[in-house]
Amino acid sequence: MIQRRTFPAMGTTVELLVDADEADAALDAAEGEFHRLEAALSRFRPESELSLLNRTGSVDPSPDLRRVVELALDGRQRTGGRFDPTVHDALVAAGYDRSFEQVPPDAPERSAGAACGGSVAVGERIELAPGVRVDLGGIGKGYAAERAAELLALAGPCLVNAGGDVAVRGGSWPVGVQTHDGTLSLELTAGGLATSGIDRRRWRRGGNELHHIVDPQTGVPAQTDLLRITVVAADLVEAEIWGKALLIAGACAAEAEAEVRRLPAVIVTRDGRTVLAGGLA
Amino acid sequence: MTSHVGRLYALALALLVFFLAWATFAARPWAGTAGASPQLRSLAAREQRLRRESIAVRRVVAQRWAVYRAQLRQRQALNAAAATAPAAAPPVRVVTLPPLTITRTS
Repeated sequence: MIQRRTFPAMGTTVELLVDADEADAALDAAEGEFHRLEAALSRFRPESELSLLNRTGSVDPSPDLRRVVELALDGRQRTGGRFDPTVHDALVAAGYDRSFEQVPPDAPERSAGAACGGSVAVGERIELAPGVRVDLGGIGKGYAAERAAELLALAGPCLVNAGGDVAVRGGSWPVGVQTHDGTLSLELTAGGLATSGIDRRRWRRGGNELHHIVDPQTGVPAQTDLLRITVVAADLVEAEIWGKALLIAGACAAEAEAEVRRLPAVIVTRDGRTVLAGGLA
Repeated sequence: MTSHVGRLYALALALLVFFLAWATFAARPWAGTAGASPQLRSLAAREQRLRRESIAVRRVVAQRWAVYRAQLRQRQALNAAAATAPAAAPPVRVVTLPPLTITRTS
């Protein structure tokens, strides 16, 4: 019997599904894990460990912050800088400077962008180069969903959906992917699935339509011919990293790279096409 | 007495001359290379050829060893990269079942 629980966390709605007769304790633990990690990794909470790092430029990190920063830096290296945790100032410059539901949908000021790609050193402490600040929004949510799925899996096969970022442990779960032609069902039994796109989390500044996917090369919201892309990978953090990287790459490059890297992907373009790539058929 | 000692000296001198002459003849100083037998010349030529061939073989072995070492380093680098590469994506397929949940831009 599938049990379901939804709750708000990390600026979105989290959905927990577990195939078990008795799973209240696991559901509580998974929900608690989300709230615990949000308290540490949110850039919108002044008391969070991440906010302390961004304020002071240096922190003696908890294991979770250290791990997420390491994963993000590894993702930056492997995507050639298309995924980058140092987009914090560029997001703020674009107007995404508070929890999204509080971002004014329209304002007169124009975005000037901000440089990305600054140095982040992870050793005994995490040290940011002067002027560098870190955003762990997407990858932090993916990490939290993975940790929650581990806890939930103690009760049975499960799925964690954090606002579209999905982590699966066992079982067989049809997950709907929106395309121009309707909803496509992908059956997942393990790993993670993430959707990145420019169709949500949008706002206007100075008459310009902006969105939350910043291209680290330019420091402003990415110019891409993709509306959204859904990527399946061995875990949700990996899917999150490649979802953003392929979205910024654009349709042709995304399809080619998904094939080369064997990353199953559903690519939805702005001109109404839906492409299955990376061995997905 | 005097003649007896003289005879002994004469005998020793004769023996010395005999051994010197034997050693000189045994060394055959008149036998030069030009005058060596065809078998000796053939052996000398073969020795030279084998020396040249062994040098060439050593050079080929060194070249092949260098190529092997380079290929080994390349394979080791590829193995190291594969060991640190992310795991492969799990099996996923398109199905006609109604979705239990929906993914959207997060």
